[in-house]
Amino acid sequence: MDNATNFSDFRTQSKKGILVIYSNQIYSFIRAFSILLFVFIQKFSKFSSISLSYIYFGFAAVLLFFLVRAFLIFKNFQFKVENNHFILKKGILKKTNVEISFDRIQNINFKQNIIQQIINVYEVNIETAGSSKAEISIKAMTFEQATALKNSITIFDKKNIESDFEIKEKPLLKIGFLELLKVSLTENHLQSLSLLLAIGIGFYQQVQQIFESFGNNELMENYIEKNSVAFQNSVIIILIFSFLLIFLGLISSFVRVILVHFNLIVFIKNDTLEINQGFTTKKSVVLKKNKVQYITISTNPLKKILGISFITFNQAESGISKENTQKIIKIVGCKITQILAIKNLLFPRENLSDFQKNQVDSYFKKRLYIRGFLLLILLNVGFYLVSKNPTIFWLNTILVPIFVFLIHLKYQKRTFLFSDEIFEVNFGSIETHQSMIPFYKIQHVSLHQTIFQARKNVADLVFQTASGKIKIPCIKINEALKMYNFALYKIETSQQSWM
Amino acid sequence: MTNSFENISVISFPDISENEFNPIERKYLNIIYINIFSFFFISILAVFLIDVTKIIDIHSFSIWLYIALIVIFFFIFFIKQIGFKRRKYLVRNKDISYKNGLFLMKTTTVPFNRIQHIEINQGPFSRFFDLATLSIFTAGNSSHDLKIRGIKISEAEKIKEFISSKIDG
Repeated sequence: MDNATNFSDFRTQSKKGILVIYSNQIYSFIRAFSILLFVFIQKFSKFSSISLSYIYFGFAAVLLFFLVRAFLIFKNFQFKVENNHFILKKGILKKTNVEISFDRIQNINFKQNIIQQIINVYEVNIETAGSSKAEISIKAMTFEQATALKNSITIFDKKNIESDFEIKEKPLLKIGFLELLKVSLTENHLQSLSLLLAIGIGFYQQVQQIFESFGNNELMENYIEKNSVAFQNSVIIILIFSFLLIFLGLISSFVRVILVHFNLIVFIKNDTLEINQGFTTKKSVVLKKNKVQYITISTNPLKKILGISFITFNQAESGISKENTQKIIKIVGCKITQILAIKNLLFPRENLSDFQKNQVDSYFKKRLYIRGFLLLILLNVGFYLVSKNPTIFWLNTILVPIFVFLIHLKYQKRTFLFSDEIFEVNFGSIETHQSMIPFYKIQHVSLHQTIFQARKNVADLVFQTASGKIKIPCIKINEALKMYNFALYKIETSQQSWM
Repeated sequence: MTNSFENISVISFPDISENEFNPIERKYLNIIYINIFSFFFISILAVFLIDVTKIIDIHSFSIWLYIALIVIFFFIFFIKQIGFKRRKYLVRNKDISYKNGLFLMKTTTVPFNRIQHIEINQGPFSRFFDLATLSIFTAGNSSHDLKIRGIKISEAEKIKEFISSKIDG
């Protein structure tokens, strides 16, 4: 026990890590050469026994090479904790030394994919706010080791450690399967469907490439053509098809929600939120209160009836890293009391409900109409080019009301208000979003004005945070300037650190 | 219900619109000219070479390509010249601001206490004219940070020095 949780000398991760690294390598190998493998299986019978044995030999060599490599990666991956610094050395040929001081560490997250779940180890990810180079991922640790490491890193954060075990029993939020079902039913199915379509198109292109390489392209094309002719002729097929789409949308949102949010449990400990969720890949995230840059509370009409919303936490993103999505953490199925508790944790003593909502200028509506009109023209041209049939323009009788309705909603929901400390902006069309950002978390402020806006005396105000920007479009120039000056005043006089 | 604007309790705080912004160095216009000229020289040369060597057959409409390039050239030349007067900067006691844009006017202010680091860059042409670019980086996505092109190198260093003393002090 003592040896396993001692971090003062250089040490390797758990020996099971070899297996994890090995499986990761094989997985990425299979992904990279999936098409080749497909071809291999297709032509399996055509290979002579001699070339087959060569291929088997090749596979065995690759597997062995990966095993040796995994072992070397494991052997060379050593870390220790010293002087409030986490020190890591790694690399087989190219040696790397990383040293991170504790106060630059944003988060320590635990993660488990399927293999890690089977052999019962945890992946420990150390996130920093600096460059992406400094992100550290330790592939395999037992639970005791992982928590010990986490504690030895956070031990200097004295406030956190005091009541680490006291409050743990009572979670703030626990989402069971039934509630998750409710959440998934009220998701944005259009979005799920388009995600699925994107994956489908990618897959289709891959399949097409394979067919092409076999010279069977015609077969595929014929198949699709035949289907699309039938499609145009038969209303029943269109109906079935749209039902199928709705069904697919439902299924895909269900799968998406279950995969990410399965068994969601949220704890509040002194100044942190601990979030556990995930089905095949279990994730445990500790959100420090002061690392959260801003939050967005979102709901849609269906969710509103059930009284649930989801909350998105935006953390500071690292400078160059493109994987911004990792820094955005979402929890679903929150009731009003839980939202209040989270608001209370992040922004104590702030009550924005006393303030009146300010509407953006009507120029915003005008701009939306102009943009919508241009989009409609483009759509119409597109329709005509595809069908060559003027009756297609009747589609506009459906499209125009939808456009007008959406624009109306978008304008109605665009409001903002602020207290001495916090800025709140509301937006959305069918969904409703509410972003809240404390003034001192703002990095810099900009004012944008096109020449058309200048004529109407309106401007866009942009607050840049360490986690993306927040834009308030088309507000009166004198109000915009007032907020611009006020925000600057608040940033420049604030004593709080933004992270 | 309170109005957010009426709630602002501080009676007066520094107003950005009341300050006089400084124009950038007039010499920087030369660099802009050089950049535009070299860009168009290369693109016209490219069209010419393609036309002569017949890699792609564009002979039938090559004259229109030249005319289009020249029209675009004068258009951009004109725009840049007018837009140049809009490039202004301002250093206050606690922040630095930059204004630019002709069709889309942008004003950005970065408070000193949010600055991560400062860079001074000098290209070959800038060195000839004794000019520099002052870049200021904050946390998060760095593509939206503040960049002042075309100020004197001595001025850039002075600003950098000033900001550094303010941050440390």
